[in-house]
Amino acid sequence: MQKKLQSEVSQLLEEVGQLTRQGEREKAYQTSLQATSLAPDEPRAWYLRAQAASSTEEKLMCLSRAVSLDPNYPELQSELRSSIQALLKQEPFLAYVHENEEFYQVRSGRDLLINVPKNRTFETPYLKKKPELTQPAFRWLNYSVLALLLGGVGAVLLAPIAAFQALRLQAASPSREDRMRLWIVLILSMIIWLAAIPISWLLLIRFYPS
Amino acid sequence: MLVRALYLSALWFSLSLLSTLLLGSRLRQRDYTLSFLWLAGVILIGNLVAIFTFGRLLEIFGVSLLAFLFGLYWIVRLQDWNAPGQVTWAMTLMTTGLFVMYTFLLTAFSPLNPLSFIFALLFFFLEAITLMLALAHVHESLDVVCRVEWHRLVEKLEPIPGYLPMVSLQVPAYNEPIEVVQKTLESLAKLDYPNYEVLVVDNNTPLQETWRPLEEICRRLGSNFHCLHLDQWPGYKSGALNFALTQTDPRAEIIGIIDADYEIQPDFLRELVPAFADPQVAFVQTPQDYSDSKGDVFSESMYRGYKYFFEVTMPSRNERNAIIFAGTMGLIRKSTLEEIGGWDEWCITEDAEASLRILKKGYQSLFINKPFGSGMMPINFEGLKKQRFRWCFGGIQILKKHWEALMPWAHWVDPQNKLTLAQRYYYLIGGLGWFSDVFNLLFAFFLVIGAIFNLFSSPIKIRPLTDTVLIIPAVFLVLHIMRFLWVLRNRLRVSLGMAVATMYNFFSLGWVVTLACIQGLVQREGVFLRTPKASNSSKAWHAIQVTQWETAISITSVLVGILAFGFDRNWRTFTLCILLIWQGSLYLAAPLYSLLSLKREAAMGVVARVTEQGKPMLEQLAARWVMVFSMVLIGTFSLIRFLPSPTGFPDYARFLPFDLSSEQILGHQPAGTSFVTAPTAAQAPAITATATIPSTASGIATIKVDSANCREKPRGGADKVVFLYKGQQVEILGRNDDPINPWWYVKIPDGSGYCWVWSLTTTMNGKLEDIPIVK
Repeated sequence: MQKKLQSEVSQLLEEVGQLTRQGEREKAYQTSLQATSLAPDEPRAWYLRAQAASSTEEKLMCLSRAVSLDPNYPELQSELRSSIQALLKQEPFLAYVHENEEFYQVRSGRDLLINVPKNRTFETPYLKKKPELTQPAFRWLNYSVLALLLGGVGAVLLAPIAAFQALRLQAASPSREDRMRLWIVLILSMIIWLAAIPISWLLLIRFYPS
Repeated sequence: MLVRALYLSALWFSLSLLSTLLLGSRLRQRDYTLSFLWLAGVILIGNLVAIFTFGRLLEIFGVSLLAFLFGLYWIVRLQDWNAPGQVTWAMTLMTTGLFVMYTFLLTAFSPLNPLSFIFALLFFFLEAITLMLALAHVHESLDVVCRVEWHRLVEKLEPIPGYLPMVSLQVPAYNEPIEVVQKTLESLAKLDYPNYEVLVVDNNTPLQETWRPLEEICRRLGSNFHCLHLDQWPGYKSGALNFALTQTDPRAEIIGIIDADYEIQPDFLRELVPAFADPQVAFVQTPQDYSDSKGDVFSESMYRGYKYFFEVTMPSRNERNAIIFAGTMGLIRKSTLEEIGGWDEWCITEDAEASLRILKKGYQSLFINKPFGSGMMPINFEGLKKQRFRWCFGGIQILKKHWEALMPWAHWVDPQNKLTLAQRYYYLIGGLGWFSDVFNLLFAFFLVIGAIFNLFSSPIKIRPLTDTVLIIPAVFLVLHIMRFLWVLRNRLRVSLGMAVATMYNFFSLGWVVTLACIQGLVQREGVFLRTPKASNSSKAWHAIQVTQWETAISITSVLVGILAFGFDRNWRTFTLCILLIWQGSLYLAAPLYSLLSLKREAAMGVVARVTEQGKPMLEQLAARWVMVFSMVLIGTFSLIRFLPSPTGFPDYARFLPFDLSSEQILGHQPAGTSFVTAPTAAQAPAITATATIPSTASGIATIKVDSANCREKPRGGADKVVFLYKGQQVEILGRNDDPINPWWYVKIPDGSGYCWVWSLTTTMNGKLEDIPIVK
């Protein structure tokens, strides 16, 4: 059943492509309407319908739909961009609606919702980054640095905790990067501990000056 | 030994720096022989002075040998610098290192109670970090003025026939006056380049009448001009620019960001685009120039302040492929921008942040020191304050996000991180450098609190105020100021007066930079500074009002300094007074420049619009962290008094470095004794020619003040022989014939001689009448 539908859709899409090339725009449009109603999740159907559509609004609607289904669909971006440019020539207004990793959703001045693909690598926004596995170890390391500045005694106690955390987290099968980070925490906590000993001695002798 | 080595090194540092100030920019050749001779010359002249003042021959020889080897190492390392630069850098580094060692020993072994020690330790770390940041400034200055050979200096790019890739120039605008944007767009229309588009991206401008005219201007200027208004857009300027990337012509290979108030020269693209023929070059930056820099001291000094970055910092960074992308007047490869994921919408200095991510991927950057356009500077001091707040806040955000990538171990964690050591150094120092102003405020605070507690006769002891602790930082301060003025004069070609005005323009922003540093650390998202709103009162009053915090700090510092000296006149309170007046003058520059900026404001005749985006942060609210911190510090300071201080002279204090008195440093001490901290026993009779020196002690004097001078003769102005610290006990052998205000003739604890200490600085165990009078 599914296969039959797929082959029917492919046939229709072939037909749309052929009709468009032949300049039979109206026929191509009618066929693409059938294709999109039979396979609403097929980006190619929406793309071909956009090519056959006569109004900018419908073109944009179809391309947006195609973007939401497959933002990386070939030729989609340049087609969409030129359609948006045509729209902006009439009304240079776009309002933000929402966005995800793949595309923006914007509203035009004529209340048309358009999906615009982001043609760039996705980078997790800094503030949305998840806490890393190594965070507890780094937290204790920070505490021990602070304690070192405040006389060292606290660092003598806190640096081993940081080292212990680093060793404990090594067992949690961390990624290569995290494993290196944990080694660094371990080494730094040892250095801090070694520095903390003479500094805390200097503090403690103040309690027994004789 | 350490103290004498420190003074000797400070002498070499002074000599080498002074000679650099005279010849550093003139000597345009590098030569190993000349460098060795220069190094040897500086060391020998310094030694000559030391021999006749405070030095010991053997020590001088040893320290000189070390200094020479150290100097040789830097001569080899810094092959592209001239001799004065190489020697000055080596001597600055050596003196700083020795001073840090000295202050550590002083901190570690001074007789202090535990809380005082914790403060002393914090103060030591603070001082060490400040000195390291100062070293970075010295390096940068010498690197640009004393550099003879430039490896990445490009003055003009050769055109490549047929290479004319498409450029998309993006003009972000928010609430900009239409006449200003119009000028910018008209200048872009005149670009002498055949293949470019201009995308005007207005984001979130609330009033239609402000942004609508842009559409008409773009239509008029040609089909390659496109206008776009983005409404309710998140991410501020970076958010808008990221969306603009989707609307960029797919054929475009290069993107240029142009601020809405910049007028561009026609040759901008034709001259810069050839840089991108090298596929490794990801971005090119040129200086940002300003057209409204003349007319008054404020405008000119502000202009020079901006110029400093492009004349000193950027050329130095460019030599190590470590420049920052400063946004406007720069070009960036589109594919690289897409590769790094576009502009960071979290960071308010997204351009600089992007350049770090680009360099992390191993690409090349290029700085071409030739301006191709000019923009407008802030209209008044208030505007300058807000701009500096934004820059600093952004700098701290970058540091927070990328600190790990800048650490020495960054490559182990992320092998994809291709930042070189020099790139990491420059970006790290660039971020940490902002904290200099925080430390400066802390020093001012320590000084004010110390002086106030002193006024109320309850001195708080954090660190003994030895001569070295006062003299060496004073030497550093004076020499660094001279060096800064020298760099300004050399690179910016300004008069001494303008160099001083520019220097104070930097200082005047110390408070706002401090606020931005603190806010950068505590705030998650971008904020902008909101200064007090203008009331109905005069403009002059408003100018003072926007710098009320700086004014308050400066008045407090100066007043406390004067009171400290007025109530207790001695050389220490005098030094304290001078230091506080100096600190006060740094903050006093803010209201002064704010008043001076009124002239500019009147001449410009435009009302500044709100162009800041982000969460507003009232200055008063931003300052609350400083206030809370100050209160905590005052409270903890007060606690020091309630903890018992060491009663005697603790054992550990014997490790304290022996200090030289100013008389020894200047060579007033008799030649035979000039090398030691106290005179020898053999000399004692010479002090009191007719003295009858008793051989047995008649009492014990315990020093009750922080540190007391033990002098050659029983009077205040007499030459100092040695310092005695609080709790230290000395044998009293005799006294002078003044029964009301006696001086004790005491034996120096290490048995090296005798000296006179004033009875009021001690508590005496014994009877006055039992003590023989020494005549």
